[in-house]
Amino acid sequence: MEQTFSTFLYQDNVLWIAAFTLGGLAFALGPIAIVYLLMPNETRQISGKALQAIECAMDPIGDPWIRYGVVFYLYALIFLAFDVDVLFLFPVAVAYNDVMFESSIRDFIEILLFVGILSLAVVYAWIKGVFKWERKTYLRQ
Amino acid sequence: MGTQNVPSSIVQFAVVDELINVGRANSLWPLTFGIACCAIEMMATGCARFDMSRFGAEVFRPSARQSDVMIVAGTITKKMMPGIKTLYDQMPEPKWVMALGNCAISGGPFAFEGQYSIVLGADEFLPVDVYVPGCPPRPEALLQGIIELEHLVSDWKRWKNPEIA
Repeated sequence: MEQTFSTFLYQDNVLWIAAFTLGGLAFALGPIAIVYLLMPNETRQISGKALQAIECAMDPIGDPWIRYGVVFYLYALIFLAFDVDVLFLFPVAVAYNDVMFESSIRDFIEILLFVGILSLAVVYAWIKGVFKWERKTYLRQ
Repeated sequence: MGTQNVPSSIVQFAVVDELINVGRANSLWPLTFGIACCAIEMMATGCARFDMSRFGAEVFRPSARQSDVMIVAGTITKKMMPGIKTLYDQMPEPKWVMALGNCAISGGPFAFEGQYSIVLGADEFLPVDVYVPGCPPRPEALLQGIIELEHLVSDWKRWKNPEIA
């Protein structure tokens, strides 16, 4: 028997989904609410260091906001260049055997242009010497 | 009762509190924190031969924010005392302190005239709930201390006292 979507059935489904959503939310948020109501409000203090971020008991030395080398942004950018290459070539590879692209030199040239333009980023990085692992030193303070 | 000093909660409901205390007593999470040789016995207690997990207390937490029981296992030097205070502050309620070994109880062999580096007992600056004597205490003594702490936390008993029953 083929199922028909009457207005009534649709409303029923929405009710079910709403009920399960509410049930899921109650299971997720309920314990947090119960614990919040039943937990002790504060924790006893001796030296008032409950909010110290370091948990190994020693007083932290210095500031975590230090300046450090930003060499790795280059690798992020290079990853992006290769990544975009691969990302857009996957659909091309999937669709290329289709009858639509048969015996058409124009599509091939388009792909070549596309990859060529994207490769300019890699070539640029190559010329700039990003692929050579050289330790770049920065002035630290 | 070991829970009488715990700060109050928003909802106070005696039956629920008793139930929660049974849960607390059966899942004491000690702090992984050994400051001297008693910690060796504490490690042995956590391992397979003495097997602290029989009493639900095997989850040694390396973070103070996740633990219930601070086992002060060893000699407290004056240099370490601020750190122990910080760890106690960072533990969430409800929290209990066990003084393990003679040094943590009273300074032990370091209580002599002219010593300058040792705090004579954890209860000089911490609210200690259970004292476990020994130098160092046997792992069985630490287990007994854990059970005594369970009895402090909750009226629920792991087993009946055979002398009374």
